[in-house]
Amino acid sequence: MSKKTVVTPEQRTQQQEPSPVAVGLGRYDQQNTPRNIGLIIAHEYKKRLTQRSFIISTIVILILIIIGSFIPTIVKYISATSTAQTKMVVVNNAGPIAGMNNDALLSYINTNLNGPTQGQSTSSPPPYSIQLASADSISSLQSQVKNGSLSILLVLDRSANQDVQFTYYTNANPNSDPNVSNVQTVAGQLSLLDRSSRLGLTPGQTSKLFAQPQFSVVSVGQAQNKRSTSELVSGIILAYVGFILIFMAVLLYGNGVATGVAEEKGSRIMEILVNAATPYQLMAGKILGIGAAGLTQMTAFVVVGISMLLLQNPIQAALLGSSTGGLNLDITGSSITILLLLLLYFILGFLLYATLYAALGALVKRQDEVQNAVQPLTWLFMVGYIASFFIVSAPDATWVKVISYIPFWTPTTMLVRAAVSYVAWWEIALTVVLMIVAIFICTIIAARIYRFGVLMYGQRPGLGQLIKLARMK
Amino acid sequence: MGLLVEHIDKSFAQNHVIKDLSMEVREGSIFGFLGPNGAGKTTTMRMILDIIRPDSGRITWNGKDVREVPRRNWGYLPEERGLYPKVKVGDQLVFLARLNGLSKFAAREQLDEWLERFQITEYRNMKVEELSKGNQQKIQFIATIVHDPLILIMDEPFSALDPVNANLLKEAFLEMHGRGKTMIFSTHQLEQVEELCEDVLIIDKGQTVVQGSVREVKRQHGRNVARLKLDNDPEALWLDTLDGVQVTKRRQDYIEMQIPANLNPNLIVEAALQHGGIISRFELTEPSLTDIFIEHVGKATLPDAPSALSKQAGGMN
Repeated sequence: MSKKTVVTPEQRTQQQEPSPVAVGLGRYDQQNTPRNIGLIIAHEYKKRLTQRSFIISTIVILILIIIGSFIPTIVKYISATSTAQTKMVVVNNAGPIAGMNNDALLSYINTNLNGPTQGQSTSSPPPYSIQLASADSISSLQSQVKNGSLSILLVLDRSANQDVQFTYYTNANPNSDPNVSNVQTVAGQLSLLDRSSRLGLTPGQTSKLFAQPQFSVVSVGQAQNKRSTSELVSGIILAYVGFILIFMAVLLYGNGVATGVAEEKGSRIMEILVNAATPYQLMAGKILGIGAAGLTQMTAFVVVGISMLLLQNPIQAALLGSSTGGLNLDITGSSITILLLLLLYFILGFLLYATLYAALGALVKRQDEVQNAVQPLTWLFMVGYIASFFIVSAPDATWVKVISYIPFWTPTTMLVRAAVSYVAWWEIALTVVLMIVAIFICTIIAARIYRFGVLMYGQRPGLGQLIKLARMK
Repeated sequence: MGLLVEHIDKSFAQNHVIKDLSMEVREGSIFGFLGPNGAGKTTTMRMILDIIRPDSGRITWNGKDVREVPRRNWGYLPEERGLYPKVKVGDQLVFLARLNGLSKFAAREQLDEWLERFQITEYRNMKVEELSKGNQQKIQFIATIVHDPLILIMDEPFSALDPVNANLLKEAFLEMHGRGKTMIFSTHQLEQVEELCEDVLIIDKGQTVVQGSVREVKRQHGRNVARLKLDNDPEALWLDTLDGVQVTKRRQDYIEMQIPANLNPNLIVEAALQHGGIISRFELTEPSLTDIFIEHVGKATLPDAPSALSKQAGGMN
């Protein structure tokens, strides 16, 4: 407990060069390994889950997820209930337009502005209420527009060359008034109909003339992996959510491992721990315990997130009377596969990085040096993360295939490939095998560094010394 | 049989830290392990605990290599104390006890007993960082012994303890001694060693300097200490001219000197009377461990590490 201010010769020599104090690797009572690792896992898991910062951050993120998933519904609800009807009066000085009398004209404008669903939906009134007025009331209507009791006054005239002219009176700023473009579209159609009828075409011929051509898109890749377009879209969404989740989770919990190791070193409880358990047991227990806590947190996020999204359709149906346009998250078929891959690659990625985080954490002297020490790992993982953004749009490029086989980048890149493109099962199996091999190698290296590191309180060793330490038996 | 350390050597990189060190700790005894800072005490303790391995030599407990002795038989109190600051006292002590091989039930039982003995049961559900230093020390000591080990290895258990807590710890020591535990501890407070230990080992620079039972070590020293006070001549400078007499301290209340064991102390009294001194005090005692420590280690440390020496001397007076 006491901080000695006197520099003893022992400390001095340790500061000059880190003396490689290796903790014995194997003791004879290693039959206790599963028991000890189990105890350490349980201890770490409980420690995390009862940590105030862990609980608070979990609750805050859960609240954000819930709020986030409700936002589209809330926005829809507000816009549906708050839109008042726009009152519009039409004054027709142009006589019959395209053979339509005033009543036919009114119903044409009504249909085109309020949409064909008008009349079916009873829950909300149509956006526009449209009336006809006679020409002599123009001046009084204009003053109504001015004082705001009327939103739009539309006056139709015939110019010298017989074209229909439209004049749109409004009190609102025409640049920001969304009604202008709506009315203008209808006006354009009316004018077109009018001109074609003067040329002698029937309305049927006119509509034939301006009908959209048949234009169909056939994706060959789609045929190969037998996915519907909606599955592809949800695949892209899952890819983004998935690789960002993996990246953040591995960094977060990896940092947790490094900090935890440094904490034990800094508080010197490590000295007691290495007497009771081997460094390998301590490292494995710590990684698995924190990983389990992380997995618990992630599972809570994903389960709450998905169930909240699934709740939106029934809620929207109850609030708005229809569930049209709700997010139809397709949690079937290929999405399930992607979610399972997400879980698999998160676990493998975490294990791979956590061993290295543990080794780096064991090399620092105090907790506040951890951030600096683990920087290289963050950059390493960042490469795969940034690449994943590009892979979403080009999943089949050669460089993508190469990069997705490199264990450090597999978790994010391979997940994106699987989500947005076609990946054979053997490719997944190969990356899993490669990652397991990498985890195995990294564990051996990390365990060696760890047993030197945990009792070393000198300067942080350089890369050359690290390699030397890792080679020492 | 007990603990037998035979000719161990250890080097870290180019530093030869332990050189041909041997020691024997009898089962059930209290053993004082002394030496200046950097002498290799902590390294030796770690090797006994099989946290690190010697380059050569053997360490056995009752004839069995220490690597084969189950972990729950060892209790270790490291010099740098440490517990999880943010974990509840009860939780971490049960964790450590179980990690040392106890069942959950036995761990709780042991913990109850020790918390009660130190009268700190109310701290069970508090975090370590919320406790006072004295209470943290108690928790740390419980962490060392909660799994009821056979052999206790303690690095500076008395450092930074106030007299009250030091006494409490001493009582716990004697209690463990009564239970037949073997205890090895290092300290700079040599009075504690004289009070508690049957055997001592003083090492310096990784080598044995003095070894044996406390009485034997004092006898081997081959010198006695005499204290003289003359009312009319407090300095008594003529003492320096006497053959074999070596004045070690001139204090206000007496002059202390070392004399060879075979020197007749009457010579000093006679010389004092010859110089017309009025003797108000004259006593003959065994040398203290402090004297022996300084004599052996002080000289050796002097040439290349004066700062360590001054710390030693300061710490012991």
